[in-house]
Amino acid sequence: MALTQVSSNKCCGGFQKVFEHDSTELKCRMKFAIYLPPKAESEKCPVLYWLSGLTCTEQNFITKAGSQQAASEHGLIIVAPDTSPRGCNIEGEEESWDFGTGAGFYVNATEDPWKQNYRMYSYVTEELPRLISAHFPADPEKMSISGHSMGGHGALICALSNPGKYKAVSAFAPICNPMQCAWGQKAFAGYLGPDKSKWETYDATTLVGSYSGPQLDILIDQGRDDQFLSAGQLLPDNLIAACTEKKIPVVFRLQQGYDHSYFFVFSFINDHIKHHAKYLNA
Amino acid sequence: MQEQDLYNAEEGSAEDQRGVWGGSADGEPDRELRVPGKAERHGRQSRTKIAEEKRLKEKKRVTPPPSTFQRFSVDTNESLHFEPYIPSDEDEPRSPSFRGATVFSDEVFEEEGETEEGPPTEDAGGSRVDLKEGLGGHSERDPPDVFCMDCKVPTQASQKLFGPHKDHRVIQISRAADEVKEDLQKGMHKLEEQIGLMENFASHLEEIFITVEENFGRQEQNLEQHYNDVLQALSQRNEQGAAQLQDDKKLKLEALYTQLLECGKTLDVSKELIEEAQQIYRDEDKTAFLQAVTPALRRIEELSQDESEIKLSSSMDFENTPVDFSDVKQMMDSVNILPAPSAPVINPQVPNSASSTSARVCWSLFSNDTVDFYDLHYHPVLDDATFTGLQAPDALEIRVKETYCTVTELLPNAQYEFWVTATNTTGVSPASEKAVYMTVPSPPIIKPRECASCPEAALIRWESGNANPVDSYTMELSEIGAEGGANAVTESIVAVPTCECLVQLQPGRHYSICVRAVNIGGPSERSEPIIIQTTGTSFHLLEDTAHPCLSISSDGLTMFYTDEDLPLSGMVFSDNTFARCVAVLGELIPVRGKHYWEVEVEDRTEFRIGVAYEDTQRNGFLGGNSTSWCMRHVITPSRHKYEFLHNGWTPEIRITVHPKRVGVLLDYDAGKLSFFNAHLAQHLYTFQCRFLHHVHPCFALDNPGALALHNSIAAPAYTMFN
Repeated sequence: MALTQVSSNKCCGGFQKVFEHDSTELKCRMKFAIYLPPKAESEKCPVLYWLSGLTCTEQNFITKAGSQQAASEHGLIIVAPDTSPRGCNIEGEEESWDFGTGAGFYVNATEDPWKQNYRMYSYVTEELPRLISAHFPADPEKMSISGHSMGGHGALICALSNPGKYKAVSAFAPICNPMQCAWGQKAFAGYLGPDKSKWETYDATTLVGSYSGPQLDILIDQGRDDQFLSAGQLLPDNLIAACTEKKIPVVFRLQQGYDHSYFFVFSFINDHIKHHAKYLNA
Repeated sequence: MQEQDLYNAEEGSAEDQRGVWGGSADGEPDRELRVPGKAERHGRQSRTKIAEEKRLKEKKRVTPPPSTFQRFSVDTNESLHFEPYIPSDEDEPRSPSFRGATVFSDEVFEEEGETEEGPPTEDAGGSRVDLKEGLGGHSERDPPDVFCMDCKVPTQASQKLFGPHKDHRVIQISRAADEVKEDLQKGMHKLEEQIGLMENFASHLEEIFITVEENFGRQEQNLEQHYNDVLQALSQRNEQGAAQLQDDKKLKLEALYTQLLECGKTLDVSKELIEEAQQIYRDEDKTAFLQAVTPALRRIEELSQDESEIKLSSSMDFENTPVDFSDVKQMMDSVNILPAPSAPVINPQVPNSASSTSARVCWSLFSNDTVDFYDLHYHPVLDDATFTGLQAPDALEIRVKETYCTVTELLPNAQYEFWVTATNTTGVSPASEKAVYMTVPSPPIIKPRECASCPEAALIRWESGNANPVDSYTMELSEIGAEGGANAVTESIVAVPTCECLVQLQPGRHYSICVRAVNIGGPSERSEPIIIQTTGTSFHLLEDTAHPCLSISSDGLTMFYTDEDLPLSGMVFSDNTFARCVAVLGELIPVRGKHYWEVEVEDRTEFRIGVAYEDTQRNGFLGGNSTSWCMRHVITPSRHKYEFLHNGWTPEIRITVHPKRVGVLLDYDAGKLSFFNAHLAQHLYTFQCRFLHHVHPCFALDNPGALALHNSIAAPAYTMFN
């Protein structure tokens, strides 16, 4: 559980740091980014976990999303892990950008050769929170989760599968129904095998149907000019329909003119941090 | 002051005595008045005695007599300040009994000797006796430890059992002292009261003295005046009579003289005529004679006919014209009776002397009038415009002995004209000037439906409650404490010119607010209070803006759009009415800051909820223009649709759970208008906009249904995160 500090930069009164550690779940060296607000110097702060999208590392979010200002104001720690195990030397790991390295899809793989390392679900929901609680002034009772694209999918399934664990959830252009889109089908088939009942436990739209637990309040922003939206990779309508059916509160904002990039994320990150702060600081 | 005077007099400055007693400086009252002062001195000494006796008993053995003595005189000096003190009966009989007790003690005499060797003082006589008494009360051999209340004698406890005080009430000396002191105190108080009474009576006598003296002085003046008047009148008559006689004499003599002259003339003419006739008579010529005789005869005839002139042209009798002495007689008669009073002087209205149905009217008389009673006349002052052509109402009348009267059964906020006449046995005075008094207004009536509030302020509106205009209004606020009781009035806002007032308040409190109407006569009673709680924003719907199809509940908080088809002809539109959108405005308090309210909606209700400028187009749809912002709910065949409309544009937003209760947060300072699902604490949307003017909440129904407004809700904490 030893942490190695990779970098530390003062930011918005607090610090943006990157650490490296040996992951037991992933059986590899993992990096994660953590923003510590000024408030963390004197007391325990709630933690917002940010899950990034395909091809991303811990760097994309902390360098592009501009989340630190709002996190500093609201006193939130933001933890941004990497998106997959790295350097596991699995055959085919580096072959495509939407599978393997940088595309862990936040599942626990059950298929060879992935099942030894590709356990991102357990990593982000179990190992990482333990690590953070142990080494940082984090309030273990106050966690929330958000993400972008594949990370949005990750955030939704983490929240829906662990009722009460996350006080709030939000997403930017999430892959809402991976079982029904090309990215999801490729990843799930690879990590989980052909049994679709296994897929269902990692599909947000399906999980909504069986959700029972504390009231959720899901905030989703989606760029209207997102090429992956029109390509049918994201399928937010399916999630909205399921949530409407199950009366799970969602505010889904279709933002005119925005695409899938971090420019889009940057534009609305403040709203999301406020949304999380509302529940984390209640 | 009075007290001071009395004591000064006691000190011997008789020159300073006031005029009242000046005439009888040694009279009874003076002597009596001095008594309390003297008694006070005496009493003071007596009390000191008692205190000293006690002290001596405690200190005697350790304190050498000279210092004891010094203490005594110091005490005496200290106690020189005035504190009316009356010797009580207990004091006198007690001292001898103290002495009596000493007789049996040998040591006493020795000690007494010692005492006498101490330095002599000016006040030696009195104080030495005191010392003896004090020492006498103390016996080394058998010190008295108790006090017999019946005999007023200190004694030993053993005596209670066997001695002369067997069946008496015997108590501890210290308690006895306290009890006796208490009695003394009571006696003092009694006498203090008596002094007070006597002083009052003295000043009263003084007033009477002055009045009597003045009255007699006035009577003397009157008498003199009257006699002077009578004499003057008589001499005037005398002069008048003499002048009259003179005039008469002159007239009569002149007339006689004129007649005399005329007689002479007639004689001359007659004589000439005789001579002429004689000449003619002598004429020989018959023809000439006859010719001349005819005119002569005619002239003789004429002249002889003037016989009437031989009479007195006027009466020479002395006409005794009767002289009218009735007025003089009346004057003589009235010499000994009172003059009728002159017109009293009516006072202008004094503030706070009237109620809504009564007025206290005061007047004064001229000091030299004697009055048996007054008649106070009054009638309402009628508005010319209202009562033209109508007869002025009859004046009402009240008879009183005092120079004031509280007139009741008047109308509120009305002017009355009052005037007074004074009457005594001689007659009635002329009327005083007329004075206009005004009754205070009826209390205003607060209109709760038109009041609004928010955590920082309240807008209170009321009806005057009076037909005539009043001068101003006063608003009174009191905070209602946690225990429910209203505190005293904590703030008053005076001189409010109109029937509304915006007042700053503290958030999170309960206030009871009421209003008074004020005119020249004073303030009215309080209105019924309105309770304002500054927990949240509270407002009502502006019914006059409502589309004719929209009906509003009696509490002003629920609006209905009923299914019934109203014929267009049956709809009444005014300039202020929404004509296309079935909408209504609410009247928000015009205070910037944060305002929060909630609206209960039904699943199937298509609504628009938001804010709009007061002058938003009545012909447009809410949200369809630049003067309104609203959340709109539309039901499409496939789903519920939510729009956040301003200027006809909405962002695309999907909401999965239909809000049953919409929370609206208006934040002027941040320039935000936010909508929430209040049941889920879910933020739905926030408009960013600079509101240049005050906005009003607006509501519309796009299909039949109802919206219920919920007021006075504190903005929930979650609304801060948006």
